[in-house]
Amino acid sequence: MNTLNKLTLAMLVASLTACGGDNKKNNTTDPVVDNNETPIVDKPSIDQQAPIEEAGLTKSDIAVSTENDWYKAGESGITAAQANVDAIIKEAGAAKNVILFVGDGMGISTITAARILDGQNKSMAGEENSLSFEDFPFSGLAKTYNVDAQTPDSAGTMTAMMSGIKTDVGVIGVDEDIVRGDCSTVAGNEVITALELAEIAGKSTGVVSTARITHATPAATYSHAADRNWEDDGDMSTEAKDAGCKDIAAQLVNFESELQNRYGVSVDGIEVVMGGGRRSFLPKDASFNSTDAVSAVEGDRTDGRNLVEEWKTRYSTGVYVMDQAGFDAVDTENTPRLFGLFNESHMQYEADRGNDVAGEPSIAEMTEKAIGVLDNNNKGFFLMVESGRIDHAHHAGNAYNALNDTIALSEAIQAAVDNTNPEETLIIVTADHGHVFTIAGYPKRGNPILGKVVSVGATEPATASDGMPYTTLGYTNGLGFRDLGAETDADASYSAAADAGRKDLTSVDTTTPGYHQEAMIPLGSETHSGEDVGIFAMGPGSHLVTGTNEQSVIFHVMNHAADLVNKAEATAN
Amino acid sequence: MAQSFLGDLLSWLNDKYDGEIMSFKMNSMVVMTLLASSVQAGILPADQASNAWFVDAQEAIATKQTQATSEKAKNVILFVGDGMGISTLTAARILDGQNNGMDGEENALSFEAFPFSALVKTYNVDAQTPDSAGTMTAMMSGLKTDVGVIGVDEDIERGDCTTVSGNEVVTALELAEVKGLSTGIISTARITHATPAATYAHAADRNWEDDGDMSTTAKDAGCKDIADQLINFEPYLEARYNVDVDGIEVVMGGGRRSFLPKDAAFNSADAVSAVEGDRTDGRNLTEEWQAKYSNGTYVIDQAGFDAIDADNTNKLFGLFNESHMQYEADRDNDVAGEPSLSEMTETAINILDNNEKGFFLMVESGRIDHAHHAGNAFNALNDAIELSKAVQAAVDSTNPEETLILVTADHGHVFTIAGYPKRGNPILGKVVSVGATEPATASDGMPYTTLGYTNGLGFRDLGDETDADASYSAAADNGRYDLTAIDTTSPGFHQEAVIPLGSETHSGEDIALHAKGPSAQMAQGVVEQNMIFHIINNALALVKE
Repeated sequence: MNTLNKLTLAMLVASLTACGGDNKKNNTTDPVVDNNETPIVDKPSIDQQAPIEEAGLTKSDIAVSTENDWYKAGESGITAAQANVDAIIKEAGAAKNVILFVGDGMGISTITAARILDGQNKSMAGEENSLSFEDFPFSGLAKTYNVDAQTPDSAGTMTAMMSGIKTDVGVIGVDEDIVRGDCSTVAGNEVITALELAEIAGKSTGVVSTARITHATPAATYSHAADRNWEDDGDMSTEAKDAGCKDIAAQLVNFESELQNRYGVSVDGIEVVMGGGRRSFLPKDASFNSTDAVSAVEGDRTDGRNLVEEWKTRYSTGVYVMDQAGFDAVDTENTPRLFGLFNESHMQYEADRGNDVAGEPSIAEMTEKAIGVLDNNNKGFFLMVESGRIDHAHHAGNAYNALNDTIALSEAIQAAVDNTNPEETLIIVTADHGHVFTIAGYPKRGNPILGKVVSVGATEPATASDGMPYTTLGYTNGLGFRDLGAETDADASYSAAADAGRKDLTSVDTTTPGYHQEAMIPLGSETHSGEDVGIFAMGPGSHLVTGTNEQSVIFHVMNHAADLVNKAEATAN
Repeated sequence: MAQSFLGDLLSWLNDKYDGEIMSFKMNSMVVMTLLASSVQAGILPADQASNAWFVDAQEAIATKQTQATSEKAKNVILFVGDGMGISTLTAARILDGQNNGMDGEENALSFEAFPFSALVKTYNVDAQTPDSAGTMTAMMSGLKTDVGVIGVDEDIERGDCTTVSGNEVVTALELAEVKGLSTGIISTARITHATPAATYAHAADRNWEDDGDMSTTAKDAGCKDIADQLINFEPYLEARYNVDVDGIEVVMGGGRRSFLPKDAAFNSADAVSAVEGDRTDGRNLTEEWQAKYSNGTYVIDQAGFDAIDADNTNKLFGLFNESHMQYEADRDNDVAGEPSLSEMTETAINILDNNEKGFFLMVESGRIDHAHHAGNAFNALNDAIELSKAVQAAVDSTNPEETLILVTADHGHVFTIAGYPKRGNPILGKVVSVGATEPATASDGMPYTTLGYTNGLGFRDLGDETDADASYSAAADNGRYDLTAIDTTSPGFHQEAVIPLGSETHSGEDIALHAKGPSAQMAQGVVEQNMIFHIINNALALVKE
């Protein structure tokens, strides 16, 4: 919109600069010039001289550069960047919809490696590829530490993103005055979440995760708990239960009434919930097993409650699904409410999805379905989508699944872009924290990202000082080397003790799903890392993610873009 | 504003009266309800609205909303932290904070307060994980090229002089020079090293730092060494583009050896080796420079540097070390003394800003990379902190409305910050878990450090040794060590590594670009590294339309 004006102005400025002392001449000879203008500094008249040509090289002087494709792409990048700046929507509340994608454990190195794998899967060299969200106009960095932890966990980080404050490691939807695990410290320390504000403001709301829906990241959108591990009543101490604290699954199913009680408002509850974690909603009794059960007794609840049935009773027009067939049958235009629990525990890794007992949808399918349901509300919606198992694959020391789940997340984000109006939808993509996951030097361009390092100009793997080849990808700590061949479940790694240090990889195919990278420090689970993660954004308010931010700023970007607090206040009053 | 002031007050009170938080909270809720009722009428919990994190973030949003987005700059300063990946930034920020009595994590390096940022894809045309030559050529010339080559495009054959001609690309520094701007180059590495070289030289191999590094074939074919190209920058540029320029105004760094004959008679007072010079052609390029620029100033030590009167110096050539300059923590061990990166930056700006047309300055912190290669986080982080100070010196010495400042890296390193240390745990220390006072142990029963490398020379315990390169005197020693009795925060501690290599490697993940000033808003999203040239070009209008 402003591009033309800006260009005209730029040309004017450029011509003034180029003319130097000619300004005076222009002013004295041009009758149109406003005499009230600030006088130009008097300079010796050069009226009689030809205009001085500005020194500099032209494009044709440097044709080796300007005809180079990289150079041209860079020039186009500037034009695109200018357009992005011109298209910034600063106005509070301009975003009708907000979608927050969280790649759990998706640090910067994971994004780069996933980009390369995705490109190589498409027969590119790979490095030049972009994941869907890498084409978003704005990015920033987020500082992930928790109030009490240098390297954080998902509970503290997601509370920061959802509630705009940092808090302690391991706690959900409460501030730093909490004492982890102590129910008596919860009251008075609960903070409101962006999802709750959107709910009060009359928007539709949704939560999607490939992890258990009671796991830390999704839980921090809707619950408040002194411990992330309180996923069902069986996980809580008698003391905590007696003191009145509710387990996270119960808080999800009773979200509507609890929010109404806490704030004295009227809401209609979360419209879309999809993920894994059925066990926290079913009694610990084999008779409640679903056809998708993996364990002999699927349920974990010790209070005998069947929360799935409670949900169905409360929302008689809602649809509960637990497998691919049920999911496929959902007609989004005529479904006011959707509850999908597709796995007893976490959903499968994307590469392992074919092994699900009763079948389950991909994160892209869930995202598209969720938006289909949520966008029926003309007040807009808030949706959080977590790819929860990037983190799990890294913990298991298995880059294959971490990268494939990242690629699946990229596809889900593309589905969101394709199904929403960019002028009224803020989409943010970020991670809660990284992992100690590295991309080592010096593989040649296009070298398989899951392979061994082959140097520039070489065809055989490079060797380390110990005479053995090494992989491009690696971990500083964790369970270490495993060669599990075609195994697509990264968690198979936990069946053996940590095996740190070097192995001879000469005859090992490191690109298989079951290959687990070497690690130095032996730990029962590879750890999170403490460096900053990326934030990627498009839509109204997306310009606010730039620079290095405390992670809690993400809530405030969403709050500004959708004006959540003010809209919630206005609706409540 | 009233609300944020209140937030600050409340957080201060919270800190002050830690034991009375609960009763204090009740009071603060009342206060907040009274003062903020026009904005928050009961939904947003008062504790949340007054929480310092919440208030600070709201202020950050308000600041961002008002960022200027002008396009044209008079000056551009490009800072390159060689090897300064995202994990290095975070760890350096924490160390800097802890050095200043903070927990550390909440600290910000000077450029982390810049308003705009991007992530940068670093690969070279032929390399998944790049080197400094290909990456700096991308930043300085606007196009990606092969690993190991300087100021030439990807049609080059590395090491083959005959393929140079016709493949030389112009650099931002050269364009600025032709446009009449003042120009400057600073590095703590040898000034002929890959990063600074890519601002002024064109070579089929980054290793051609002096004639002694080149094959007879290359020399016979007419290729010039990088040191020669620096000294003869003015005539070479004039000949290549048929223009009239006045040469680079400020050059400061290490690498005197490539400018002196291989003859002890030419040793300076700052010499480290028995024979300081490396040149085999008998030329003394420092004398050639002084002959060419008779009103220029040549310095080799701290005293010479301190004597510079910036307002009356029109050309400055400083070569402060035979090879690379010292690590910042090792600077006192320099033979004749040498300035810090921030001192060099400030002096450079004071000379360059004498030109009313403006200037282009490139400042490299070259030894973050070297410390990582040696597997020594201590020096990598301390040099990154010194870079942060140099950036602050630039901010303080320039007009923000007319100066674009870019801070970036060329690539990262396989350097990680492991979990799960508690808040404020010494970043160079062993992991101590939340709630614990003793180090956590791994499955092997031994403690482990927060910082680590995937590969490299591995563990060394060199105590108070401040020269990271001392690590190279022994073979790679990978794997685990019992660190129980070892002080891992000492300058000479080198972190463990799993894959034994003679030098820890670069890494391939994206690095950051931080920007402020005109055209800084062009730093957006995820970009190819050559975009940095185009941002500079957009700011200075270097290439004539």
